Amino acid sequence: MKYLEDNSLIFSRYDLFREQKEERTHRFSHDALLQEVAEHVIHGDDEKIITIVDQALEYKRPEEVIREGLIPGMDEVSRLWGEGIYFLPQVVLSADAMLEGITRCEEKMGRPMEKKGKVITHTAEGDIHDIGQLIVNALLRAAGYEVINLGVDVPVDLVVRSCQQHRPILLGGTALMTTTMTAFPRIAARLKHLNLQIPFVCGGGAVNEDFTAGFDLGIWGKEASWAVGIAEDALQGMTWSQIREKWNG
Amino acid sequence: MQLSKTMAYARAEEMMFGTCLYPVTTRRGMCLGGGEVIPEIVVHPRAGSEKSLKTLLREFERGYNDALERCVSIGHPHVCLEIEHVAQMTQKTEWGEDVAAQTVSLMDRYEERYGIVSGCRFTIADLRKPDMVHMRDSDRSQRVLEAIAACARHADMVAIESIGGKEIFDHAIIRNDVTGLLFAQAVLGGRDMQWLWPQIVAIAERHNCLPSGDTSCAHANTAMFMAGGYHGREIPHTLAAISRAISVSNTLVAYECGATGPGKNCAYENPIIKAITGVPVSCEGKSSACAHSDFCGNAIAAVCDLWSNEAVEYHSMFGGTTAAVFTEMLGYDTALMNTAINLGYEKELQACMVNSDRYRDPQSYILCPDIAWEIGKVVVEHHQSLYSRARAAALKCGELIFGDDKLQLTTYEHDALRHYMADLEKLPADEGNFIDLCLERYARIHGFRRESYGL
Amino acid sequence: MPGYMGFVESLTACNVGGEMDEIGVAVDIGTSGIRAQAVDLTSGAVLSTSISLAHPLPGANVVDHLHFALEAGVTVATRMLRTAVNRVVEGLKVPVIAIRRLAVCGNTVQLSLLQGIEVRDLAYTGARKLATLGVVKPDRRGVSIQAGILQGLELNETCQVLIPPAVCHTIGADALAMVLQSGILQEQQTALITDYGTNAEMALYHNGRIITASAAAGPAIEGQQISCGMLAAPGAVTDLQLMRNLQYRLLVLDEQMQVVQGPVVDLERASLVSSNNAQVKGITGTGVVAALCEGIQAGLIELPCIQTPDACLHLGRKLSLTEEDLQEAGKAFGAIRAGHVTLCHEAGIGYGDIHVVYMAGAAGTYVDPVKAMFMGWVPAYTKKIVQVGNTSLKMARHLVMDPAQLDVMQRLADRIRPDHYVLAASDTFKKMYMLELAYWTEGMPMTSYRTMLTRYGVKAFPETVSAPEILQAGAIGDLGNPGVQELSVVSDPGEILLLSIEGCTACSGCVDACPQSALELSFKENRPVVQLYHSRCAGVSCKRCEHVCPEKVMVLSDFFMIR
Ligand code: B12
Ligand code: SF4
Ligand code: SF4
Repeated sequence: MKYLEDNSLIFSRYDLFREQKEERTHRFSHDALLQEVAEHVIHGDDEKIITIVDQALEYKRPEEVIREGLIPGMDEVSRLWGEGIYFLPQVVLSADAMLEGITRCEEKMGRPMEKKGKVITHTAEGDIHDIGQLIVNALLRAAGYEVINLGVDVPVDLVVRSCQQHRPILLGGTALMTTTMTAFPRIAARLKHLNLQIPFVCGGGAVNEDFTAGFDLGIWGKEASWAVGIAEDALQGMTWSQIREKWNG
Repeated sequence: MQLSKTMAYARAEEMMFGTCLYPVTTRRGMCLGGGEVIPEIVVHPRAGSEKSLKTLLREFERGYNDALERCVSIGHPHVCLEIEHVAQMTQKTEWGEDVAAQTVSLMDRYEERYGIVSGCRFTIADLRKPDMVHMRDSDRSQRVLEAIAACARHADMVAIESIGGKEIFDHAIIRNDVTGLLFAQAVLGGRDMQWLWPQIVAIAERHNCLPSGDTSCAHANTAMFMAGGYHGREIPHTLAAISRAISVSNTLVAYECGATGPGKNCAYENPIIKAITGVPVSCEGKSSACAHSDFCGNAIAAVCDLWSNEAVEYHSMFGGTTAAVFTEMLGYDTALMNTAINLGYEKELQACMVNSDRYRDPQSYILCPDIAWEIGKVVVEHHQSLYSRARAAALKCGELIFGDDKLQLTTYEHDALRHYMADLEKLPADEGNFIDLCLERYARIHGFRRESYGL
Repeated sequence: MPGYMGFVESLTACNVGGEMDEIGVAVDIGTSGIRAQAVDLTSGAVLSTSISLAHPLPGANVVDHLHFALEAGVTVATRMLRTAVNRVVEGLKVPVIAIRRLAVCGNTVQLSLLQGIEVRDLAYTGARKLATLGVVKPDRRGVSIQAGILQGLELNETCQVLIPPAVCHTIGADALAMVLQSGILQEQQTALITDYGTNAEMALYHNGRIITASAAAGPAIEGQQISCGMLAAPGAVTDLQLMRNLQYRLLVLDEQMQVVQGPVVDLERASLVSSNNAQVKGITGTGVVAALCEGIQAGLIELPCIQTPDACLHLGRKLSLTEEDLQEAGKAFGAIRAGHVTLCHEAGIGYGDIHVVYMAGAAGTYVDPVKAMFMGWVPAYTKKIVQVGNTSLKMARHLVMDPAQLDVMQRLADRIRPDHYVLAASDTFKKMYMLELAYWTEGMPMTSYRTMLTRYGVKAFPETVSAPEILQAGAIGDLGNPGVQELSVVSDPGEILLLSIEGCTACSGCVDACPQSALELSFKENRPVVQLYHSRCAGVSCKRCEHVCPEKVMVLSDFFMIR
């Protein structure tokens, strides 16, 4: 039997076309090194990324490395997560890698890069359960926020002082123990007293909506991803009570 | 039971539309596979018409009357009417029988009035839902056999779309589990047919009716449907192709039990079946777009003996009712094929059909006559068991897909197929061991009971 | 008190005299209840067994108990716990005068509360917080004291009380008991033991090293925090037996805590296939393991979804497991596997290198080990599984027979302490737990899970699972031989307090909202009074009563404070 050499007039392979196009959308930069930077973010490679970023910085401005390599890579990770292809552990790895890269670029710039806004997160006084906070941090960073991570077992005092000093758009708190979540209303009261109307999102297994509804500034953060949505709202200038109304109740 | 050990066709090039090695003749003397392709029209009653016997009879009468009427109004020499049972017709034997009797008298009336020779095939609904009833020992299995007998009294041909193994198949297909497909289709589906088909053959022969054939509609067509078009990603197309290759193992059982053909229209595996058995086969492609989409609209006609439309619901269109419209289209398609035969251009037309779709998709590729023949070859070579021939077919199918550079695969399809091949390689060679493995793995799947398959 | 004791002593003198055998009492204080056994000190035979179906303090876990202790005062908590111990000991039906020795075993929180020592170091975990509070950690060495010192315990003043040591706040006497009583230290090959309870204490025995940790799995292991869950008590579903298709026979605990056959159910539908007389009230941890395992194997669960028409796994007309339950269970089971993997990593071996696994705790004893393995409680590569029963009660029995065991425990505690692994400080655990969360709550496939293991530098899991040999070392049930008498059951070992609440309108909202039926409303001199059954109350982590009170006058801790 005779076979055609070229079938293109008989049928079109849209499946191949789509795959090639998807591959093209996996091009984040025309520059090979920046492309590699993005790919290392996507693969969450926080060791190798430093080498690549350093190489890129030899002939690219740090701003470019961030804008054309690190950020597009992280955006892709968020997309993959949204589509259910990536899972949280992978997102966290990627966020770590991106952060490493950004820190390197910032060193080169001699100043911190412009971020969307500052968010302070902490795990309550007396509590060491920080996995929830870890996820929140990763997602906020992935979305372009500067996260000031106060860590675990953070005294009320330190949280309040940090808020005074950094004036974040949002404060996040995690508590998994019923004995430790009581720190949150105390923090809120102190902030109010200082007239710092910072929306205070509280999450973690022990915290529920009724609890945060019990004190001013308090907003219940059911899932880590809420942190990003709420930060966007805070950035838009919504007050804590507007945010609470929107996200809770 | 003897499993096929040899190929009916020694070479793929000998396979051609319109002719087969073992043609059959209907009660009215219509020869199938004897040098001419015949249209096979299937009309489906509208929902609601099955409410009473009266409305149902009326609906079928309209449908097939319109079909015959269109044949005579534009000059189709032959037509085959296929009636696929709605559940009620199998559940209530009298209903099925009444429809059969009515159809036959309609055909007689047309033959008498216009001299048109037609044939009819009745396809019984397989009521035995494996997850609900015992496949062999239940009221429903009885019902199915009774319905076959009732139709065989009138019909030229009886057929069934048996559904053994469906419970495991459904579980496996959404999990990309080839092992499950092999078990469901070959081991369970095949065993179920080895139980069912000798009975069908005996009944049909008693009534001088043709025990025509079966199909892996419940399995391989489900896979084809799920694979969808170029954008479909519910399951990889390569998995659907493998499921098709596997389906040969079970569909073949009908012929090993005495079925004579023509093979059921929706059995896309028919080119492979024809290569092995030499019986006439009915096929459908572009003509069945009304029922489902496939990648082999033209190529699947390459070796067909009947040309069908799967099923079209009875409705009116600008050009008449769907029954009339589809009969017209099928008839012109067959007229083209028959013209080619008579002009001696059949090889050329076959080449056109094959070239049209060969490289569209792995699913169409494996049904092209030469490839189909090669798959058939490994099936007969591995005649030790239903399982071994199915596994061989699946492996060969993958090998052939990988083996032709012109058949381009997306990375996604490529990776998926590599993965299935690796899974297949790892499986035991022996059916007994394979069954042990599967009984362990699938024992708790919803609705599965091994007794249904004599295991 | 001395008067009372005097009376008792005189009774001994005149009634029983020298004929009365000397009796020892072994007590195990668990987070969900107290068990005691009377032992003949001469023969070692168990004379009787008594258990309580609840813990006297409000709450479902040790933190709730601590929280209560902090709010109501440690003295109050201690008094309530001692009273409850009295009630359970009373159930043994042996004369108090004959009790020469009492040995307790249990976790650090329970023993510290019973002993009435500092507990704040247990309630808060951060070092910073503890420093601010000026808390000095008590040493928690094993002690042998006279009952007279522990005011409120209804025992002879001179009765010897043995309180065993703790390694740290998570590895208490119960964990030491587990290591000693299970026989794990006799193993030649790598062995792992876990107490399948809220705290999930675990120990890896490898090359002579005992590495311990606590994975804090949470109460779902025992059936709590599951919508229709309950502790192992009469009426609890403990297992499922496949009948055919999706039909399963429930196995339930009867009044005597024996496993009996229950109704046959269809996992997909809220109906009974066939019923019998067995009472079914809820599902306990082992039942959850069985139901989820069957659900997964039958293809009804595709993590994180339940693929039945109403997304529930049904166990008859009333009971069902929801997708949230599945997540809760997953978070708990995941903590166990993450803990196991982390311990292996710390020891420099792979998760697949564990040869034998010991399962301790009530859940570890009642659970079907094969199902437990399927659900990740036990490495799927283990060659042998030993179910060891309640080692805490067994330890207490040994202590009471042989007080020198106290030193044995102390030596073990000293040996373990340097090798105790603080999961809170472990990056590996954090990562592993995140993986588990992704697996259970996001549906991360096992293939990605394995890839991540490599990324984390954790040794790969083997490819094929094993079919382990299974040994039941836990005698009959987890109580061992219950003794000649019928088991006594104290259903409510706690206090019941009345509170007249200012501003209460007697709307009964709190009573109706209480999931534990812990509240009752009545009137006293025409004023509404609310009554709290402490042992039933789920404690500060619940507080539903407070949330629903329209007047906002219900304050749970007011009950704790009225003393
Ligand atoms: C993992 C775990 C641990 C790990 C912690 C590791 C770590 N670095 O975090 C370890 C093993 C170390 C641990 C220790 C302890 N634990 Co622990 N632990 C758990 C466990 C199993 C899971 C908690 C968890 O991480 N969940 C996953 C995270 C991701 O969920 P999450 O924090 O709730 O966060 C989600 C949301 O809430 C939200 N979120 C969280 N924060 C924020 C913030 C913002 C801004 C937003 C928007 C959202 C948000 O987003 C997240 C994802 O969507 C739970 C039991 C359980 N089944 O839940 C017990 C539990 C929390 N632990 C408990 C206890 C008591 C302890 C211990 C004190 C004692 C013990 N039994 O061992 C010790 C402390 C030891 C020490 N040295 O300090 C108790 C608390 C009980 C209570 N009533 O308070 C629990 C409930 C278990 C139990 N025993 O009953 N624990
Ligand atoms: S509702 Fe109130 S009384 Fe009832 S269990 Fe919850 S906290 Fe306790
Ligand atoms: S809900 Fe409040 S007002 Fe109503 S009975 Fe309870 S305490 Fe009283």
